[in-house]
Amino acid sequence: MPELSIDGRKVNVPEGTTVIEAAEQLGIFVPRYCYHPGLSTAGNCRMCMVDVENSPKPQIACNLPATEGMVVETESEQARKDRAAVLEFLLANHPLDCPVCDQAGECDLQNYYMSFGLYDPRFGEQKVKKQKAIEVGPHVMLDQERCILCSRCVRFTDEITKTGEFGIFNRGDRAEVGLYPGETLDNPYSANVVDLCPVGALTERSFRFKARVWYLSSTESVCGGCSRGCNTELHHVSNRPHLNDGERLLRVKPRHNPDVNQWWMCDEGRYGHDWIDVDRLGEVRRRTDEASRRQVESTWEAALDGVGTALSAGGARVGVIASAELTNEDLFCLREVLGAHLGARIALPPAPAGGTSDDFLIRPDKTPNRKGATLLGIPDAATPSAEALVDAAIAGELDVLWVFGHDLVELVGAEKTRAAAVGECLLVYSGTNDHATVSLAHWVLPSAAAVEQDGTFVNCDGRVQRVGRALAPYGDSRENRRFLLEIAARTGTPAREDWNGPAGVFATMAEAVGSFAGMSYESIGDQGAHSAPSEALAEAEQS
Amino acid sequence: MTFAHLEARADEIIGLYEYPRAAMLPLMWLVQADQGWISPEAEGWVAARLGVAISRVREVLSFYGMFRGEPMGRRELKVCTSLSCRLRGSEALLETIEDSLGIKPGETTPNGSVTLTKVECLCACEMSPMVQLDERFIGPVTADDTGTVAAITQDARSEPDSPAASPEPAPFIDSSGPVLSTRFGDPEGVWFDGYTAQGGYEAARKVLTSLKPEEVIEQVIAANLRGLGGAGFPAGRKWSFVPKNTEKPVYLVVNADEGEPGTSKDRHVMERDPHALLEGMLIAAFAIGAHKAYIYIRGEYFRPAQRLQRAIDEAYAQGWLGADVAGTGFALDVVVHRGAGAYICGEETALLSSLEGGKGQPKLKPPFPAISGLFGCPTIVNNVETIACVPFILRHGPERFAAIGTEKQGGTRLFCLSGHVERPGVFEEPVGVTLRELIEERGGGVRGGKRLKGVIPGGISARILTAEEIDIAMDFDSVGAAGSMAGSAGVIVMDEDTCMVSTLDSAAHFYADESCGQCSPCREGTGWIHRIVKRIGAGNGKLSDLDDLLTISHDMEGRTICVFSEAAAWPVQSYIAKFRGEFEDFIRSGRSLPSASAREVAHA
Ligand SMILES: Cc1cc2nc3c(=O)[nH]c(=O)nc-3n(C[C@H](O)[C@H](O)[C@H](O)COP(=O)(O)O)c2cc1C
Ligand code: SF4
Ligand code: SF4
Ligand code: SF4
Repeated sequence: MPELSIDGRKVNVPEGTTVIEAAEQLGIFVPRYCYHPGLSTAGNCRMCMVDVENSPKPQIACNLPATEGMVVETESEQARKDRAAVLEFLLANHPLDCPVCDQAGECDLQNYYMSFGLYDPRFGEQKVKKQKAIEVGPHVMLDQERCILCSRCVRFTDEITKTGEFGIFNRGDRAEVGLYPGETLDNPYSANVVDLCPVGALTERSFRFKARVWYLSSTESVCGGCSRGCNTELHHVSNRPHLNDGERLLRVKPRHNPDVNQWWMCDEGRYGHDWIDVDRLGEVRRRTDEASRRQVESTWEAALDGVGTALSAGGARVGVIASAELTNEDLFCLREVLGAHLGARIALPPAPAGGTSDDFLIRPDKTPNRKGATLLGIPDAATPSAEALVDAAIAGELDVLWVFGHDLVELVGAEKTRAAAVGECLLVYSGTNDHATVSLAHWVLPSAAAVEQDGTFVNCDGRVQRVGRALAPYGDSRENRRFLLEIAARTGTPAREDWNGPAGVFATMAEAVGSFAGMSYESIGDQGAHSAPSEALAEAEQS
Repeated sequence: MTFAHLEARADEIIGLYEYPRAAMLPLMWLVQADQGWISPEAEGWVAARLGVAISRVREVLSFYGMFRGEPMGRRELKVCTSLSCRLRGSEALLETIEDSLGIKPGETTPNGSVTLTKVECLCACEMSPMVQLDERFIGPVTADDTGTVAAITQDARSEPDSPAASPEPAPFIDSSGPVLSTRFGDPEGVWFDGYTAQGGYEAARKVLTSLKPEEVIEQVIAANLRGLGGAGFPAGRKWSFVPKNTEKPVYLVVNADEGEPGTSKDRHVMERDPHALLEGMLIAAFAIGAHKAYIYIRGEYFRPAQRLQRAIDEAYAQGWLGADVAGTGFALDVVVHRGAGAYICGEETALLSSLEGGKGQPKLKPPFPAISGLFGCPTIVNNVETIACVPFILRHGPERFAAIGTEKQGGTRLFCLSGHVERPGVFEEPVGVTLRELIEERGGGVRGGKRLKGVIPGGISARILTAEEIDIAMDFDSVGAAGSMAGSAGVIVMDEDTCMVSTLDSAAHFYADESCGQCSPCREGTGWIHRIVKRIGAGNGKLSDLDDLLTISHDMEGRTICVFSEAAAWPVQSYIAKFRGEFEDFIRSGRSLPSASAREVAHA
């Protein structure tokens, strides 16, 4: 464990730690372009040079092993000069087109120039001309002139995706980053290069000219695209919807979590959020005419009364088709209110076969919380399949069938779905988006999307992670757990007062469910925490 | 385009290397030799054969000057316009050739017979100005030597296999010894029988049968053998850095990428006395525990590579290479690996990147190659000339070698004298010879009785010395103490009429062209400097440019992965420091005023 001193402060680090990492431990940020902890060390940008006692030359902190007694200065006169010199070189051929660059505001050239540059520009020669605005793939745009040749993107496609699309061609100041002619950057993780690119050379096509980054708000969350649960940051605008045709969620960025997704996320997860602002269910609806099954807009009061009455009718036989898209808090309320108290049988359709996956992040199960459901005992061993519940509804053996999220047509086919809808059984639907089942329901209760609520998911490895509320629930939609509590009140279920907030529900859940024992909403924090291994989980793993 | 007929040869080539990817350059050479260029289909074939992404192939294709991404003429005529050739009239020569062929550099004659190319130093400075027609070096040839120029252009227009009309070069090449040039007398080279007849391989036999590796290293240390590639690091000490009892294979890599403008030495060893290099390699490999050695030779050196291969084939046939060298049980395999036109590949870690099948980009240190070099294994890189000294040391004893040199550097060097001397050539001299002796006695003084203006003592990267600074010994330490460096022993002499702006332009162009482009200061700095110097040369300079050049070059120093950036900075700093008046006069008047007298006239 060598001890070294950085800017006069001492720190002990494990053998093999680099100075840039040691500085980080002290909260000292050494500016860098090419260095990235998730990639091999290139050492080419020369921005992280520091001043080391007894060393005749400045050293790059990213490749300098910390040694016993080393004395490092990151703010000395020499270190400042070194960084300013490098910045001047980097900006020599840079087009300086910040006013039309999407990176402006989060560009490390701009940022470092303000913090470490501020020299008198001397460059007066003709700049090297390269290509601008090349669409290199479905998601990514390249501007070669803005590129500072840090090689992060090249190392990413070499080392992480191993697809090798990027290259740096030619040498000297003719060197330019690009793809082999005719190739496209279409690997499943392509957009990560945009996050890696420290400047505006690689930008997101979907975000092009959409918003200045300083108008964006940011919320920490977790991707719901598959059971990996990559940690994310949601970037949204609520005060300028006119700018983007009502689109509220403007982009999703991966958030570092060493135990889940490191620094990355897949394109499908990143861009699979159109549904949040498209074809959403924003109003309560009810069926007015049994023959035509016409629906009209209704109110929450009417719906909760209607559904509540049906549920509390003496001896009501209730079936629920739950969804692994629901948060643990929703599922827990569902289990307690509908299952434990009203005796509902709760089915959970399995993940459809054939979901794509790889040996990196992408999992075949495209739902975010199947493991959470399993921990909560949903479905339990005795529960029939979703299809059996639908069959029971058709056969008149159910009084209420409440479907969460799923499209029955996909689960059991159009014929059975229609048969279930025309029978005696009350068909209740809760979900976020419109599909074939919605128009067949007696009641449609619009649900808030995961990005519109707080709560938790359990990922494929059993890690409990928090989703964050970035947006207000769409239209008149509500969190499932909220209206389930209203149902509880109307059906005489002994629901607890402190269930009102997600933290409260979680606390109760932690008391009731062994896998969550000892955890709290706070202790999960922004990096998640492991659930205790449970028997249910072990069994589910086996099957 | 089909590649079926190349598959068998490709398999053989890939089989020479530890990893298929290392066969990148040789496979590209194979296709280019077969098809004249490397088409997109060929890139795809190479990528598939090596299991790499096609963008890797394109990176390599675009990095190296000799690989052709488009079809060119049936023959290629390269005219060297680097400093040594420029000083002896390559610009006029190029113009004459342009007129004669009716094309400009980069163009191909309409009938597709020949492509004309302007190139940087081919390291044949003793025969400057020179050209290369396909594989053959031709020189000296000046614009007014109309017969030779006509013969060359005639040749260039004819079919590649037609007999050569132009003469073979005959510049001065020393053969007086005592260490390196003893067997240089025959331009056709000394081969196995000749070499053994003169005691060749005796030293290797003695080493393999009676010495321990440590003893060999001790002798090389005692001989004061310094690395002659340019940096002068003690060879024996470097060998001792290889970890003992390592699990990994150890590699010996010989640096034959000779590319420093003004230098011409390694080529003569490989062409005229190749077995001396092989014997030195056997001894070095034994000392460091290597059983595989690579010789990385610059791509333009076709004939040296062929002769080297012939010597290697002989050595295998005679049992001096292979699984059981001379019945001693020691094993050594040697592979010749050809570069493809990139000066930076002379830098040892760039050389290793290139040998591994990538662009010639220097690697970060630490780790140093002796610990983690080729394929991540301990590797010793030595220059050709360094290794060629080794048999002498083991045969005649380290004392004798040390005694030839100075206190801290033993032996001799092959000095290449070029530029404005009466007698350019390659001269073997003890390392303590003075620069004045080299110029005045061996080189016959400044050409045409002119006055000496400046000398670059160790290749273009070395700082320039003025006429007053030539009374120095040429060993590493003495030249270093005089503020320059002995470098590659390429001595470039300039007379009083030499324009320093033009000289700096030559250097600046070279560095801008050859920077590998990784490090921000070097990539941007070399281009920036070259653009300023070009502007001054075009008569559009400002006086403030000189200070800008100084500070920009200063900012490039000590801040990069390799010392190329420093090498690019030193000429700028030293030319301006020592000839500032001339630069200022050029900027004020917008024209070249090289000599003091010319400047006085202009001022009057
Ligand atoms: C830009 C640059 C170019 C170089 N070119 C050569 C070269 O052409 N030949 C060579 O032997 N060494 C060259 N070197 C030096 C090598 O890096 C290395 O020091 C040398 O090959 C070691 O061998 P030696 O110790 O026997 O000299 C170059 C170094 C630099 C920085
Ligand atoms: S495009 Fe961006 S990430 Fe890629 S090399 Fe250029 S600056 Fe670096
Ligand atoms: S791997 Fe799964 S969780 Fe991660 S970003 Fe992709 S879809 Fe979302
Ligand atoms: S200093 Fe220049 S040549 Fe050396 S690694 Fe850096 S960019 Fe390449």
